[in-house]
Amino acid sequence: MPTLTEPIAAPAGRATGVPPTILTKREHTVEIVSDSGEGAQRCGQIFGAVSAKMGNGVWTVEIIPAEIQPPPRIPEGASGYRVRVGAGPVTNWGDATNLALAFNEQVLLARHRLNALADDAILLVEDKWATSEDADIRAAWEAAMVELSTRHYRIIPVPMEAECLLLVDNPRKGKNMFALGMLARVYDRDCDRIKEQIAFTFRKKSEAVYNTNVQLFERGYEWAETNVDVRIHVPLQKIDEKLVVMNGNEAIALGAIASGMDMCAMYPITPATSVSHLLSEVFEKFGGIVHQAEDEIAAAGVAIGSSYSGKVAFTVTSGPGLALKTEFLGLAVMTETPLVLVDVQRGGPSTGLPTKVEQSDLLAALYASPGDAPHIVIAPATIEECFHVMITARRLAEAFRTVVMVLTDANLATGVTPFKRPTPELHWQAEPVDLSAVPVGTKAFQWDPQTGLSRRIVPGQANGMHTLTTLSHDEGSKVAYSSGVHQRSSAARSRKLAVLQSLLTPPPVYGDATGDLLVVGWGSTKGAIEEAVDRMRAEGLQVSSVHLRFLSPMEPGLKPMFTQFKKVVTVELNYSDEIGDPYVTEENRRLGQLAWLLRASTLVDVDCWTRVPGEPLRPGSIVDAIKDRMPTRGAK
Amino acid sequence: MTISCGVLPVLEPEDQEHAYEMGDYEGARARWCPGCGDHSILTAVQRLLASEQLPPERTMFVSGIGCSSRFPHYLNTYGFHGIHGRALPIATGIKLTRPDLDIFVVMGDGDCTSIGAGHWIHALRYNLDIVVMLLDNGIYGLTKNQTSPTTPQGHPSNTQPHGSWLPSLNPLTTALGVTNASFVAQTAEWIPSHLYATLRAARRHRGLSFVRILQRCPVYSSAVYMKAVQDPSRIALLAHDDGVVVPELEKVYKNHVAHNPHDLEAARRVAESTEHVNLGVLFADPSRPRYEDLRRVPPRTADERIHLLDAELDRYAV
Amino acid sequence: MPSDPRVQQALTALDRPIAEFRALMEGALRQADAFLEQQMADEPARVKRAAAALGVFGASHIDATRFAALHVGTRTATEPSLAALRRAVDILRQMADRGDNLFLAEVTSGAKIGAVVESALAMIGWAFGAIIVTDLVRGGRYVEADHASMLDPLQFGGWNRSERRAAPPLVVRVAGASVRATDLASFADGHVKLVLVVSGDCAPAPLARLITPGTFVVQTTDGSGLDRVALFDGPAFAALMPAGAATFVHDPALGRESWQRLTVSFIPDAPKKAVGAMSTWQQLEELKQLADLARTPFAVPNAGGNAAPAMGASDAADRIASWLLTQSGLGGTA
Repeated sequence: MPTLTEPIAAPAGRATGVPPTILTKREHTVEIVSDSGEGAQRCGQIFGAVSAKMGNGVWTVEIIPAEIQPPPRIPEGASGYRVRVGAGPVTNWGDATNLALAFNEQVLLARHRLNALADDAILLVEDKWATSEDADIRAAWEAAMVELSTRHYRIIPVPMEAECLLLVDNPRKGKNMFALGMLARVYDRDCDRIKEQIAFTFRKKSEAVYNTNVQLFERGYEWAETNVDVRIHVPLQKIDEKLVVMNGNEAIALGAIASGMDMCAMYPITPATSVSHLLSEVFEKFGGIVHQAEDEIAAAGVAIGSSYSGKVAFTVTSGPGLALKTEFLGLAVMTETPLVLVDVQRGGPSTGLPTKVEQSDLLAALYASPGDAPHIVIAPATIEECFHVMITARRLAEAFRTVVMVLTDANLATGVTPFKRPTPELHWQAEPVDLSAVPVGTKAFQWDPQTGLSRRIVPGQANGMHTLTTLSHDEGSKVAYSSGVHQRSSAARSRKLAVLQSLLTPPPVYGDATGDLLVVGWGSTKGAIEEAVDRMRAEGLQVSSVHLRFLSPMEPGLKPMFTQFKKVVTVELNYSDEIGDPYVTEENRRLGQLAWLLRASTLVDVDCWTRVPGEPLRPGSIVDAIKDRMPTRGAK
Repeated sequence: MTISCGVLPVLEPEDQEHAYEMGDYEGARARWCPGCGDHSILTAVQRLLASEQLPPERTMFVSGIGCSSRFPHYLNTYGFHGIHGRALPIATGIKLTRPDLDIFVVMGDGDCTSIGAGHWIHALRYNLDIVVMLLDNGIYGLTKNQTSPTTPQGHPSNTQPHGSWLPSLNPLTTALGVTNASFVAQTAEWIPSHLYATLRAARRHRGLSFVRILQRCPVYSSAVYMKAVQDPSRIALLAHDDGVVVPELEKVYKNHVAHNPHDLEAARRVAESTEHVNLGVLFADPSRPRYEDLRRVPPRTADERIHLLDAELDRYAV
Repeated sequence: MPSDPRVQQALTALDRPIAEFRALMEGALRQADAFLEQQMADEPARVKRAAAALGVFGASHIDATRFAALHVGTRTATEPSLAALRRAVDILRQMADRGDNLFLAEVTSGAKIGAVVESALAMIGWAFGAIIVTDLVRGGRYVEADHASMLDPLQFGGWNRSERRAAPPLVVRVAGASVRATDLASFADGHVKLVLVVSGDCAPAPLARLITPGTFVVQTTDGSGLDRVALFDGPAFAALMPAGAATFVHDPALGRESWQRLTVSFIPDAPKKAVGAMSTWQQLEELKQLADLARTPFAVPNAGGNAAPAMGASDAADRIASWLLTQSGLGGTA
């Protein structure tokens, strides 16, 4: 009885002398998936880094298993790396994968079931499982092939382990280099650069380790040369400026250093923690320290104590940590202590989806602290902005004596893309705080009646002694319960946001300033939204978009901008009800979080399309959703 | 001095070698209830500040929320009247940034041993060079009479009207059980000279000095320390040259226990014992590592940082 | 000088307090520069600076002109005070340009160690004056008649409490014959830290004379213990000695009694020849002083496993005591 693998195994090899098919693509998405611990991520990282160096646009994301130590060969254990390469800049992870390389069929199945693979995807898969001595494994392989055959995938079995065994005893270590070799051949990557990158990756290991890895890489390259009949050509661009490649958490960490901040107090939480990993490695060189506090609350408290006594300190967290920090957030607003609080958003509520992206903390970021606690909330839209936003956040925290929250998310945190290398500038680092004596009688909160701003006084300054208090207080920081004082002090704290809003420049519209539909986004979805807008405009649809960075205060000029479109729709990675869902009506419909804010601030009937897929939005999904929401022509 | 270039140490232009007096430390008029033990503690602290000649602008009182946490308002130093249970994290941040400041933390029993207990344990372990005063009246006073962890078993309150269900928490054994705790003492506000001497020993100790101050609340828990106040024989003074020695008290308080504060095992026995109310330094070890010393790094100038950042960015260069 | 590996070793051990002093000067410079720029600059320059300060992200979303206008309101300084500020900036820049040399002094042959330290500290005092002037001018409190003299070098005797506390460490290269510890005693104040790098013939325990209850004193031949000098919260003397010298650490934090504070780890044989002006008797006197201070006055009772660490010093003290007995014939014969 023939096995199911036979019919698809046949086209894999190519006859000697027949040239491979060369497919030229503006962009292509490749992913490497394996059980965790098999090195697929390292293979993907090297592939991504070399592609960027050669002149492709690159956006990479990690494929993170749902479990910490999953057993082998189960779909839930799929671990890997997804690299989207493009002929121009790549701003998001794209739609579906065009070529996948899998170390077993079960992890491939996981990707198939997630709809991660394009219908015509090329799938290179380790084939040793088809002939396993274990009947269960053989049966699982065959069942998987049946399931995969429901789509038009092109499956190419690869004897990865058999090939590796010709060179090493334990192919589990090193299969990833063989895989890298295959990809290098298919995508025509620069082998010297790859070897350099291998050398860098294994710089802490012996030369023998390097040599073995290079041999495996070369074996994979040669195998693909003779056995894979397709080549993908993504045109390269000349790189004319210096670039750096990093993920958003690394950008946050380096941006914090660039801003001159030198105290990061934190508590481990996914996906924010890696900010502190990088800082812990390098911060002391810069005169800074990472304080790992006993809990999220203490992390905020230590940062505030440090800020109060003459710095601007920062703390990084994710959703559940933000919940705990709200108490201290209120304190910092009330005592007008500068603080930068980075929230790397993940799926919620509660523990939610710790490793997955979501934009569900927006309203909590603005309003979670009880009482009226106005503060600044900024959301960088790209990994590059993650770096630069920290400098601005520090400056605003100090200038406005308040909390600046920076909202990023798991997509920015773990995505990797090249961007223009920042040139550090002296003025990014604020001058040291003034510790000289103040005139006798100087008050702790000499609120300017117009702006609400006041000069910060720091312990050590002679004549400045006062007791900062979280109770309602007057200009002298004296506890005051009278309604007049509370009205006045509340106004001063609130006014600062109005002042900042008056300084903001209206955001630019992407596309025409008038049209049928305006998409409004914030945070990490910018690349996907704009790519979707490009596609729709190419089809002749009058769609534009605008992307917001300042969420508190809200950016100016939105209402007049919105009125130039028949319809305004937010696109967000958070949950909202859909009209048509059971019980859901216009009256009780819960909206996307930005949609709530925009309705409140503009009185425009803003609609929303939001999803919580636990992965970044795909441009294609946005196109489909927006097309559904296009107003009928001529209606207004 | 500071741990980094963000903050400059204060240099005074003129030679300000003037002597501070107790009045220099007076802030707003204290508004605790008449007969509240906090008044006595405030006086002892003002006396300490004057005797140690601490410049008011470089002295810092951090508190949480509760009756005792009003403390900073009544002093003319820098103060941070924070939120319930969280004085220690704030003080930690300040001390890490400004080792030049003399920092005193004032907490009540609810503040320290209940809502802030997690921070308390870890602060003892960090062992920053600060003075931590637990003003222990065994009750929540500000919120009007609720049971705290140190309320004696059986003592009624508004939340446990039939008497506190559980045996009370012993702050001394708790503190002495924490790895790297370096100074634990107990004193009582109704013995001002002992209170002062204990606070002075605490201030001079290098490391976190935890001082439990038995403090009467005349309104809600007057019975808690009544017997010890009225009957000196219930009190035992821990005697050692490295502890607290107050000769003038020896006539009134006849129970003296020879106790070497370098002996942790003995300190734990003293903390457990219920025979007397033991006052004095239970434990002191100035050699235990201090977190601010471990974490001190050379500051870098702005130019140096730019140079280093350039090198760092090169690691990510394409 | 810094090419001497032992000098480098001393500088490395003192890296943090040296960096702190540099940061102090640099901070004052940056504050002064910013102030001068505000005084001098026209609006476009101020706006440019505000835009730079906001960073790339901020500058593309925030109107720098209006942001700069938020923070005008700085007082206008008088011409004499601006002149003083410029001078102060010059002085600080000169000091900063000296690099490690600002924290290094050398006692050349014929020079007196006290005078060399005095003149090195006077340079530091000069920097202090310049820093204070930057503060005064920025705060509008500079008065030419009262404060102009602050821009001159300032001898240690004139330093006030806060300056003594902010003093950076000083590394002094000196030949053994020129070490006169008593000449250094007057510098024990604030956070002054002097580290002698001693070469050639030297008395075995010259720093013994500097031991007072609140002063950290260390003699080392291999550099061990120098790191504790940087950490000590008070005045400190250290000597990186030639091989064969006595080695000890006196740490005031370790107890009230001298035997608790003093740990002697090595005592050499009795001195046999005079070094410079130091007779063998005088040298022996220093060793005896060390032994006296380290001697446990009573048997230390068994205090369990948690005895104060300084009690470990009793071993060394006992050894010194027995050594002294064997040497007793030498007393008074020099």
